[in-house]
Amino acid sequence: MKQSKTMEKSQNNIGVLEEHPLGMQPRFKVGDRVQVRDMPYFFYTRSQMWARGVVGTIAALTYSDLVPEDEAFNVDGRVEQYYIVRFRQKDLWPEYPFDNDTVQTESPERWLEPARNSE
Amino acid sequence: MSQKSEVDPRRVGLLEAMRGQGKEWEVLAPCYGVTNPNPPWKTSLAAMCDCLDVSGALPTLDRRRAEDELAEAVYGDVPAPESQLLTLVHTMLNRGLVSERELASRMRTVRSRLEAV
Amino acid sequence: MNKAQKYSTDGAEHNHKAAPMVEEITDFEVLEIAVRELAIEHGLFTAEDHRRFTEFAESVGPAGGSRLVAKIWTDPAFKARAMEDPVKACLEIGIDWSKPTGFGTPSDYTHLTILEDTPTLHHVVCCTLCSCYPRPLLGMSPEWYRTTNYRRRLVRWPRQILAEFGLILPPEVEVRVEDSNQKCRFIVLPVRPSGTENWTEEQLAEIVTRDCMIGVALPQPGRTADVHPVHKARRPVHSSHHEEAAR
Repeated sequence: MKQSKTMEKSQNNIGVLEEHPLGMQPRFKVGDRVQVRDMPYFFYTRSQMWARGVVGTIAALTYSDLVPEDEAFNVDGRVEQYYIVRFRQKDLWPEYPFDNDTVQTESPERWLEPARNSE
Repeated sequence: MSQKSEVDPRRVGLLEAMRGQGKEWEVLAPCYGVTNPNPPWKTSLAAMCDCLDVSGALPTLDRRRAEDELAEAVYGDVPAPESQLLTLVHTMLNRGLVSERELASRMRTVRSRLEAV
Repeated sequence: MNKAQKYSTDGAEHNHKAAPMVEEITDFEVLEIAVRELAIEHGLFTAEDHRRFTEFAESVGPAGGSRLVAKIWTDPAFKARAMEDPVKACLEIGIDWSKPTGFGTPSDYTHLTILEDTPTLHHVVCCTLCSCYPRPLLGMSPEWYRTTNYRRRLVRWPRQILAEFGLILPPEVEVRVEDSNQKCRFIVLPVRPSGTENWTEEQLAEIVTRDCMIGVALPQPGRTADVHPVHKARRPVHSSHHEEAAR
């Protein structure tokens, strides 16, 4: 893993803590099946492109970061893991014509929960 | 899912006056044989957007949402980068970051200054 | 108003320093200066910050990305380092993601991820929320990348968008759309094309155009420039409003 380096948090949250505080570990690992939580708002606030409860796979762990202050489900000052999550296009859009195509997006941990029906 | 609007789409007189004069870079540059695809002020505009985000005066996400709305509702026929400039100023006016009156006045001053060179 | 002076490109013969210039002072140029001055006077940001970010904007272009890809293609040890720590590898080729603040810019951050294509996997990148883009490596984003037309349609109909760019992929190839909606920034590492054996890094970098690193084009011998659909497509052809109304 990268060496830890603490950078001062700027006013707009540019700084990133690269080391987890003691005791906090990422909840998911690469390959885990996860589900987007049923939340009042999604990553895309203008066009709702993600069906609720769609199951995806953790493709990568990216970095840990401070939780944005305007998040409704926030605990102040908490650091959380961010992930790249991969979805099959066919799981998002049943009529999507190509079986192998996928889409990935980046998500903070709190938007994800373990998939209810793991394969 | 509906999202509250970021911006007032009513047209701004000062900005409307600039449109449709054939002075957008993509129209003007070829007339002068200039092949640079960007006007010289484009990097300054980009820097302004970064600065407004860093200072918190106009966060990028808000600015881009407003830009998307305005591009669709008002400035759809304006090419880049003029569209980005107009939508930025329109958004700043909406938010009271600058006023139309002082902007008009400053534009007169700036133009005199540039033309005096 | 200044009289427009038309410069011919042939004028170079008489005045070797004269390049064609737009000699008019447009309202847009004046507006940019005016709003910037007022913003600084109102304390919205400082002149110093503006200068730093302008220098940044002027310093970036796609050449860095091209060199990164070419070096990865030709140097397996560098590739291993780059896939392990992309930001550090960029520093090796003179691209510093921490500029100009020490923490990167408020849009680019310092989390570069390299998306490696294979013969059966093709990546293409967008940012649906606000057109985030790996500026330290690719420079300023092209206008088509910033349109809602591209951003909204790519995640939904990627192959249609690619086809508009002239790129058609077989059905068995996985087209993977990467939406850079948080702090990671992405660059596509295309498959090195055949016919480039024994090419130098410089020769390879020439065919790794910006569009190849976004994922809307494939590098090919002889293709050293990006060509785009003629239609500007400013308005979504496939409007998301219609999609939402149908739900």
